[in-house]
Amino acid sequence: MSISQEARLALLGWSFRGAGVSVRERVAFTADEIREALTSLLSNGVISEGVIVSTCHRSEIYSLAADEGARWQLTRFVSEWRGLDQAELEGSSFYRAGGDAARHLFRVAAGLDSLALGESEVLGQVRQALSLARESGSTRAVMHRLFESAVAAGKRVRAETEIARHPLSVSSIGFELAMKVFGDLSQRRVLVIGAGETGSLFARHAVEAGVRGPVIVNRTASRAQELAASVHGRAVDWDGLAGEIPQADVVVSATSSPEPLVRRSAVEAAMRERRGRPMLFLDLAVPHDIAPDVSEVYNVFSYSIDDLEEVANENRARRAREVPHAEKIVEEELENYLGWLGNLSVVPTVTQWRRRLEELRDLELARAPAAERERLKGLLDAFSARILHEPMKRLKGEGDPARKLDRVEAVRHLFDLDRDS
Amino acid sequence: MDSHLLGWLAVALYVAAEVYAIISLIRPRVPALPGHLLIGAGLLLQFADLEARARAMHSVPYKTIGGSMSLFGWMLGLSYLALLFRHRDRAVGPFLIPFVVLFSILGLLLPQPATVTARPDTRGVMFALHVTFAILGYAAFTFSFVLSLLYLIQNRQLRRVKTGLLFSRLPALDVLGGMIRTSVSIGLSVLGVSVVLGIIWAERVWGRLPDAKLGAAILTLIVYGFLLWKDRRGWVGERVALLSILGFALIIFSYTFVNLYFSAEHVFR
Repeated sequence: MSISQEARLALLGWSFRGAGVSVRERVAFTADEIREALTSLLSNGVISEGVIVSTCHRSEIYSLAADEGARWQLTRFVSEWRGLDQAELEGSSFYRAGGDAARHLFRVAAGLDSLALGESEVLGQVRQALSLARESGSTRAVMHRLFESAVAAGKRVRAETEIARHPLSVSSIGFELAMKVFGDLSQRRVLVIGAGETGSLFARHAVEAGVRGPVIVNRTASRAQELAASVHGRAVDWDGLAGEIPQADVVVSATSSPEPLVRRSAVEAAMRERRGRPMLFLDLAVPHDIAPDVSEVYNVFSYSIDDLEEVANENRARRAREVPHAEKIVEEELENYLGWLGNLSVVPTVTQWRRRLEELRDLELARAPAAERERLKGLLDAFSARILHEPMKRLKGEGDPARKLDRVEAVRHLFDLDRDS
Repeated sequence: MDSHLLGWLAVALYVAAEVYAIISLIRPRVPALPGHLLIGAGLLLQFADLEARARAMHSVPYKTIGGSMSLFGWMLGLSYLALLFRHRDRAVGPFLIPFVVLFSILGLLLPQPATVTARPDTRGVMFALHVTFAILGYAAFTFSFVLSLLYLIQNRQLRRVKTGLLFSRLPALDVLGGMIRTSVSIGLSVLGVSVVLGIIWAERVWGRLPDAKLGAAILTLIVYGFLLWKDRRGWVGERVALLSILGFALIIFSYTFVNLYFSAEHVFR
């Protein structure tokens, strides 16, 4: 399906695939900068519609370009905007036009172009980009439908494939294991030993997984208190660690202790106190914080960082196996979008519009007496031609491509022309 | 209705429920209600079929092997629905519904004599309740057995850190443990009532307590009672699942070996 001549979709972008962090940092846009840039691009006449997607892995400008020199004009705009060398920007950028630009966005929304295959965050970022563009008044029919279709494709891919179902981060995997032991975690107690970067990450993830008030233990009490405050948890002194273990269903440990902090004998005592209720240990420390033989205690599940990373690797492979299915969904959604876009050309729209009026004419003529039909047909044809003349003239004569597409879209909608296609 | 049209329609609905349960296992976002409705409608139709059999026999339809299998299938379906409403987890459906299908089909295919001449001593409400409760009890224990196997599978996957499709779809150990507890509690209660009714009936009709089959039933009650008691005292988990499997093995032993060789009088056919 070809794209109508009026719709010059263009994409200029910098992503982690071709642009280093130093370039990506300099071409990244904040929300305010996106609004400002879109307004400026519109007022300069470089684009007639536009949306900017900017995340830590990519900055991409999707546009309905006023003419064929879009790549050069957009690069020059970014170069002047950021005060960067245009040649350097061009070297690290990528450019797509027409269906390829749309396909790229659909793949981005589906998580197929992400560093972590199938990640879900990007779908929200695509939605956010459309919302910012709407606020800036830089979207009309083409961009609006492009981004809505991309979001729909992203949702379908996540619903119909397993691409986003297997977690990749060790914290997600750790809590997935906990949920397979305990089910709902909202009534479970989580103890986090170590308030460093990893401990903090797990404490936050625990809260996201539904845990209420995780208990934080750290050698430096102030850091434990700080983390506990940020996750609405409770800080406990280092000396209180032994007393907390029997109360905890899940123990996460991430300290730099050279010796194991939790030994088998302590866990056996804790299990007696817990009357055999299961416990789960996530040992994220190297060397181990949890003695390896703890996992031999009845109803105790213990996982090291190596175990979690092994699952992450397996999950990466599982996600990769879903790529062909996801690509198929992207192509289906893309075909729908390009079909709609192709119909936005003036000539086929006018032809279909005329045909629709002829259908209506024939319906009415069928109800008229046979002797009158020929005369009435001539009358109705003349009437239709008069009605169509001015709108068609205006439609064909519209100079602004975006406005022309808006009007074609309006005609198609009002006269239900897409029903035929 | 000799052709058991309603019974076959019920089987068709159970098969559809199984297909839907498998789809739900692969795609957990599909709504649960259609699956519940299929099972519920199947149970109603099978009940109508059982009622037709009961009218023909003037008795609860356990006096033919086909009737008792069909009744067992229906009780399994009922137990499944009870588990579903109690625990709100349908992921066990694909593993439990096949038993409902299997026994319901056996109930329709196994011999159905046109007339049944029941032994005179097996007439009366007490005997009917004794057998009906026993069948419901064994249906609940069958499910506790299957759930225990699922528990052991999930437990093994967690120990070996195998996180494939089955791992992600099977319920948490805590949920499976709760389901085992529920089905054993149901089974224990109704089998207990059945044994008491059976003892009263036997004393009244035979004037003595029967045989090895009663012994096996009491042993079954002891094993499952011990299971529930230990479950509350720290045996939560793998050991409870193993004990439940042992209890079910005892039931199979009672139904086969004891029935064939030690309890001729206690087989009412």
